[in-house]
Amino acid sequence: MTAINTDFGKDLSKYGAFDFNACYNCGTCTAVCTLSTEEDSFPREMQRFSVLGLEDDLKGSLKPWLCYYCGQCTTYCPQNANPGELMMSLRRWLISVYDWTGLSGLLYKSLPATTAGMILIAAVVLFYSFSVDFDLSRIMHTGHTFEIIAIVGVFSIILLPNLIRMWWFIILKPRIQVPVINYLKALWDLIVHMFTQKRALGCDDNELRWFEHFILVLGYLGLLFTTVFLNWFSSDSVFVIVMGYIVSIIVFTVTLIFVYDRIRKKDEISKYSQPSDWLFIIWLTAMGLSAFIVRLFIDTGLLENNKWLYLVHLIILAQWALIIVPFGKWTHFLYRSFAMYFHRVIS
Amino acid sequence: MAGKNKTTSFDALVIGGGIAGGEAALNIANNGYKVLIVEKDLSLGGKMILLSKVFPTLDCAACITTPKISEISRHHGITIFTGTEVQNIVKKAEKHFRVQIKKKPRYVIEEDCTACQLCEQACPVVVKDEYQYNLVGRKAAFIPFTIASPRAAAIDIENCTLCGACEKVCPTKCIDFTQEEEIINIDVQTVIAATGFSLFDPLRIPRYGYGKYRNVITSMEMERQLAPTRPYNTVLRPGDGKVPDRLAYVLCTGSRDFTTGNPICSQICCMYSIKQAQLLMGALPMADVTIYYINIRSFGKGFEEFYEQAKGMGVNFIKGKIGKITEKDNGNLFLRYEDINENKLKESEHDMVILSVGVLSNPDNALFFNGDKLWLDQLGYINQPEPLSSPAETTVKGVYVAGSAAGPMDIPDSILSAGAASAAAISYIIEAK
Repeated sequence: MTAINTDFGKDLSKYGAFDFNACYNCGTCTAVCTLSTEEDSFPREMQRFSVLGLEDDLKGSLKPWLCYYCGQCTTYCPQNANPGELMMSLRRWLISVYDWTGLSGLLYKSLPATTAGMILIAAVVLFYSFSVDFDLSRIMHTGHTFEIIAIVGVFSIILLPNLIRMWWFIILKPRIQVPVINYLKALWDLIVHMFTQKRALGCDDNELRWFEHFILVLGYLGLLFTTVFLNWFSSDSVFVIVMGYIVSIIVFTVTLIFVYDRIRKKDEISKYSQPSDWLFIIWLTAMGLSAFIVRLFIDTGLLENNKWLYLVHLIILAQWALIIVPFGKWTHFLYRSFAMYFHRVIS
Repeated sequence: MAGKNKTTSFDALVIGGGIAGGEAALNIANNGYKVLIVEKDLSLGGKMILLSKVFPTLDCAACITTPKISEISRHHGITIFTGTEVQNIVKKAEKHFRVQIKKKPRYVIEEDCTACQLCEQACPVVVKDEYQYNLVGRKAAFIPFTIASPRAAAIDIENCTLCGACEKVCPTKCIDFTQEEEIINIDVQTVIAATGFSLFDPLRIPRYGYGKYRNVITSMEMERQLAPTRPYNTVLRPGDGKVPDRLAYVLCTGSRDFTTGNPICSQICCMYSIKQAQLLMGALPMADVTIYYINIRSFGKGFEEFYEQAKGMGVNFIKGKIGKITEKDNGNLFLRYEDINENKLKESEHDMVILSVGVLSNPDNALFFNGDKLWLDQLGYINQPEPLSSPAETTVKGVYVAGSAAGPMDIPDSILSAGAASAAAISYIIEAK
């Protein structure tokens, strides 16, 4: 017996879900989905679970992560129930479920809370800069130390425990028996999906979108690597400098395209933007752009007279590292890859 | 019909000579009133006369329609104009409508034609036969279909080459190429709109491949293949003329679907598909018939039993709407759907697919009234301001609606609706006399 929980729908709609109660269970969405298979049929089942409020079944399901949002289900849904956006909202909800701190849910559901967090971080950065008399070299040094601490801290305190929670929801809690060797065998899948998002190619006419996203991920990882590990802003190596320019250009160009798509709303995937989506791509654009300009100013010797520019970059970076990466949309990078990993482990 | 712009008068005008219009006209005429039926087509009978059998009794449709139609044709109180359309209606006063109608030339003097079919044999032009839903061809000089009423030839002037072969062979010299379009004004006391419905065009759902995959047909095309006057005398798939073994019905093609602009249930598709499935079990005893549905709506008298009977005969019912159809090299078709009862995406192979197309409003419902406008509802059906207390009333006093012009309706309901409309029309004529 299952108890119906109608409150779940109200909660889910705060993550952006549409009128999923309009669904009359015809299965058109599943039948037009190119990623759906006999073993993993979605999105109708997710739609049904959401209507009934079967939270535990949803928490243990990988299906929201198996969808790469081509939007065919939404286009052809006879009831305008928008299953594509429901899957997207379930992913947002799952991110908040996996997060042990509970901050993800708060930030997803409340724009004022997010704004307050962003302002607080900006204030701390400004206060610190004020306390060191806006000494650029000290700020840049602290900025670099912060990057390293943030990466290690966020990963070990927030993301790693969350991944373990995800594992618990998917495999341990439903008591799925898995031979240990499967975890090793599936590792290759984890790497492949993390760096290529190969599965997204299964969507109809998705090659261009996949390519843009693929380049963006490479650009982002490249930017992370050059700024943090190769210390791009303090490096004299021509190779590192040139590489930094290239990856930062990639990041802000591709994200600008995504921003443009979301404004234009032509494809299903870019029609329904939540604040979390805007925040993610705008901050990514801003990061790429500000990093690019900072390095340009260093190379032209203008930075010393334009300290504010580095401060802007540092604020964007701190907000990114402390809000968007641990609690926001950034986490889909990990959860998607691990969803594919667990999927392989189970099957 | 001598002379142009002639004005004549009748008690009632019935627009549409289908089963609803015919029934309404008969009721009014039997009460001693003069009725004019204006029918756009070349024959009376509407959609029903083209059907095979009717649910839930499996009576032969023609056996019900033809006696009724011949009663209408022979009735002294009823005048019939075929090939005629209403152009404009002006309500001059209560119980006085001035109606302008346009009679298109048939190029055959109806009264003289003996339906000997010599013209048909002589005509060299072959075009698709719309009355057989394009399954076979017909000539440009033709009798619309075997049980047409009036059973008289007509010339399809758009395809005619004006070779004159028909004129030469006609024994009664009834072919007359000099006929012209006539505009006739008539005065009537009351009007019944029985304009019927139109069928959803499945070309609007490209993922079902209608028009591209030859073995995907509509339910009306299957209806013709099952009718007593059927073109092939058996059921064949159009792609290669093979007798099909595995047939699939796709319910809700263009019904209950916002994306096609028709969000409502068509009310008849479940039942006519079940009926066709039963007829197919008889016509092709070895064939498997599968009906893919969202919900089976068998709400009328005897309908649920009819559905159970189909299940008992071995018709497969699968809950799940077809998402996509793809064609194999041999003309067979793959249907992709989610089996809702099993929560599983599946693909099945069939050698013929019948799209159970939905019911849409007839564009002809937009009747032109000067002064008083006849309101249509959002989907283009004639608006009923009092659907519960007086279902025949429209927004114009003295104008009544009968049959599926008011909304999707099966045959028993259409006849009932025609009864209501005729009673209301007669009351209106008698009122305050």
